[in-house]
Amino acid sequence: MPTQIIPPDTKIDFLGKARLAVTVSVLIILAGLASALIQGVRWGIDFAGGTEMQVRFEQKVEDTGAVRDAVESVGVAEPTVVRVTEGGREAFTINFASKAEEEEKQGQIADRIQAALAEQVGPVEVERVEFVGPKVGAELRRDGTQAMLISGVLILLYVGLRFNLQFAPGGVVALIHDVLVTASIWQLLGQTFDLQVLAALLAIIGYSINDTIVIFDRIREMISTHTTHDIVEVTNRAVNLTLSRTILTSLLTMLSVIALLAFAGPVVFPFTATMGIGIIVGCYSTVYIASPVMLLMERWRSQRDPKAGKAKPGGGKRAKAARAN
Amino acid sequence: MRWRVIGVVAALLLCGWYTVANFVSAETRKATPFLPDDVMRLGLDLQGGIHWVLGPDLDVAIEHELDVMRGGIREELEEKKVEPARIAVDGQQLVIEAAKPEDLEAIRAAASETRVLHEVGAEGQALRFELTPQWQAEVRERGIQQVLEVLRRRVDDPIQGVQESVVTRQGSDRVLIQIPGGQLDREQARGLLRQTGFLEFKLVLDRAENEELLRKKHPDGLPPDTEIVFERERGLPGQKPEDRRILAAYLVPKAPDLTGDFLTDARSSLDNRYGWIVNFAFNSEGARRFAKLTGDNVGKQLAILLDGQVYSAPSLQTRIGGGRGFIHGRFSSQDAADLAVILRAGSLPIPVQIEEERTVGPALGAESIRRGVNASIMGMVLVAAFACWYYKLAGVYATIALLANLIMLIGIMSMARATLTMPGIAGLVLTLGMAIDANVIIYERIREELAVGKSPRAAIRTGFNKALWTILDAQITTLLVALVLYQYGTGPIKGFAVSLSIGILTSVFTSIVIPRLLFELYPGNRPVQALSI
Repeated sequence: MPTQIIPPDTKIDFLGKARLAVTVSVLIILAGLASALIQGVRWGIDFAGGTEMQVRFEQKVEDTGAVRDAVESVGVAEPTVVRVTEGGREAFTINFASKAEEEEKQGQIADRIQAALAEQVGPVEVERVEFVGPKVGAELRRDGTQAMLISGVLILLYVGLRFNLQFAPGGVVALIHDVLVTASIWQLLGQTFDLQVLAALLAIIGYSINDTIVIFDRIREMISTHTTHDIVEVTNRAVNLTLSRTILTSLLTMLSVIALLAFAGPVVFPFTATMGIGIIVGCYSTVYIASPVMLLMERWRSQRDPKAGKAKPGGGKRAKAARAN
Repeated sequence: MRWRVIGVVAALLLCGWYTVANFVSAETRKATPFLPDDVMRLGLDLQGGIHWVLGPDLDVAIEHELDVMRGGIREELEEKKVEPARIAVDGQQLVIEAAKPEDLEAIRAAASETRVLHEVGAEGQALRFELTPQWQAEVRERGIQQVLEVLRRRVDDPIQGVQESVVTRQGSDRVLIQIPGGQLDREQARGLLRQTGFLEFKLVLDRAENEELLRKKHPDGLPPDTEIVFERERGLPGQKPEDRRILAAYLVPKAPDLTGDFLTDARSSLDNRYGWIVNFAFNSEGARRFAKLTGDNVGKQLAILLDGQVYSAPSLQTRIGGGRGFIHGRFSSQDAADLAVILRAGSLPIPVQIEEERTVGPALGAESIRRGVNASIMGMVLVAAFACWYYKLAGVYATIALLANLIMLIGIMSMARATLTMPGIAGLVLTLGMAIDANVIIYERIREELAVGKSPRAAIRTGFNKALWTILDAQITTLLVALVLYQYGTGPIKGFAVSLSIGILTSVFTSIVIPRLLFELYPGNRPVQALSI
């Protein structure tokens, strides 16, 4: 017997639980939205504009307050100062929103903070400075939104062309779902949205559709080869057959993410953590979201046009030829 | 079959050759003739350095253009014997106020002769003009090109330039500068931006030893539209102008009588009276203005200012025709050469703002590399261990494919001299996890075929064939997203998109071709009871 996680003859009624799954997802998204509206979204400096510095002192610094006082002494209002420790190394990240007058100083604010820290706290090394002006921040926000939309459209087109138009919405809804749920969870965890999180969300789009397509492919294959075409049964069967692959792939990708979380350190933490959430969400949506939406489309289509309803979704060359006539 | 093995092995050796070069220092690479010179470049987040996105204030370019127009129109009107009450640049508009209502038509005619001004409004006898949209676009384009050119010449300067620096345009109105680690600190680098190289000529109205004495000469305050500028001792490199000793203070008009915009050339040379000097030459328009300026003001002093500092203030002996002149100022040969470069590179009359800065110290960069390598090894080990435990021999095949994938990925990125960033490493590690997806799809399929009673060989064939299009579909959609990410990403994120896209391409190849080949080698045609899968 081969090593197995999922027995080959699993027959879980995934579609039967679709209503519950959709409710759970909607609740998470609503909670995320509510949190964004009530508490506001924590935009990173990439999008909001501002300055972030990482500094390291030669000697151990006990008091974060001293660092904050030094930063404030050069005229920075409400800086966030956080101590980060990793592998016995201690550093501080300093974060603050930019003011128009500071931009005129051409990034000199970081030099002045460095001088103040050296004077008031002790010998200091500036490891990293990131400054994003408000104009660039606005553009990055716009570009990010555009990138999301364009990815969505491209995938819609590809899935529409390769499969059948009624598959496409299922895939796209699943990936919108993945992005929304992942972003909601990130928001509920009180984390900051920056470029890395955006990159991870885009990567999740790619990952999510990857997963969905495997099932769609199987549904299409089964419809064209099997005599029974009760679409619900076929779909359920396809999800079950690909289930071990869905879980295995998610597991293996998660192993990579775990390696990154454990070793890559805080520089890419936002990316890896978001990606980790996205993989779990993606695995779940592949099973519970993508196919039900596809079925919904199918039902809606067959109700509107009973004759077309008999055509098998993506029914291989035969169906395509029939449509062409 | 034999040719396929040879092909795959050759491809791997080629990529491996490039991969190995990455782990050898640059000196060893140069010294070893059989190693390729092309390797992955490290992003600024890994090697440390400065990444700047600069936003030139192009509105200022339009104001400059209007300023030039103003001079032209004034002369044009003088020829027509029209004396306007006021002619001034007001933000993005030129305002010309006629002294008499009958002058209005002459003013309109003079403006329309420029072909680039159009009237946007009139209040009483004041007419407002704007540059036509086409000309505005033209001026902006010229402005950004000039900024780019000037900064490129300064950063890339053959003598004092920065190695492997990047100065390129980003979007329609931005300049991207990347300075790899350790060559310039932030303060030094900002010096490149601060020195505008803006050359001005101003007639000296009054002069004294220092500001205090100069002010004493004007007990009722300075005349309107004038300012005090200083001639200072030559300072040390990096020393701020304010800290240098003042040699003289001059009272000059705020508006320059002539600017360096008309310069065509500047060269340093040794003069037996002044030591090192910088000769400059004007174009015909500049020469005409220079001749008029010097001819009209014989006996007066002319201050030559660079970035608001007086370099020299010679007394005008005679009208200077021919459009040539020189600046002296106790220069060393290096000072003179630098000044000539800055003048030749052209001025940077447009103020440049740092709109985005990402600076990483070399220590943090080295730390990131170490972490990245550890994460990659760990990711690889975890995924491979799981695959070998779960799929037995087939898992070993998948692991071999995975290693091959890693070698090809690094090899191709090296050949392309792609930039590796920290998110790029994350993309690479993630690719390892996602690359094995193809093998999972194939193996699960083979297991299904075996479960319905097919022979091992048939199961392998069906498994690979049926999985092929699923894998392609899945990877192409991911590739689409990676390409969008590349298009829209900046800096490190672009690095993620690069390693993800190349990773998708290599993983499709390795995860399909290599395990299949290995299955053909063993068990191949041998009769086997059960596949190790």
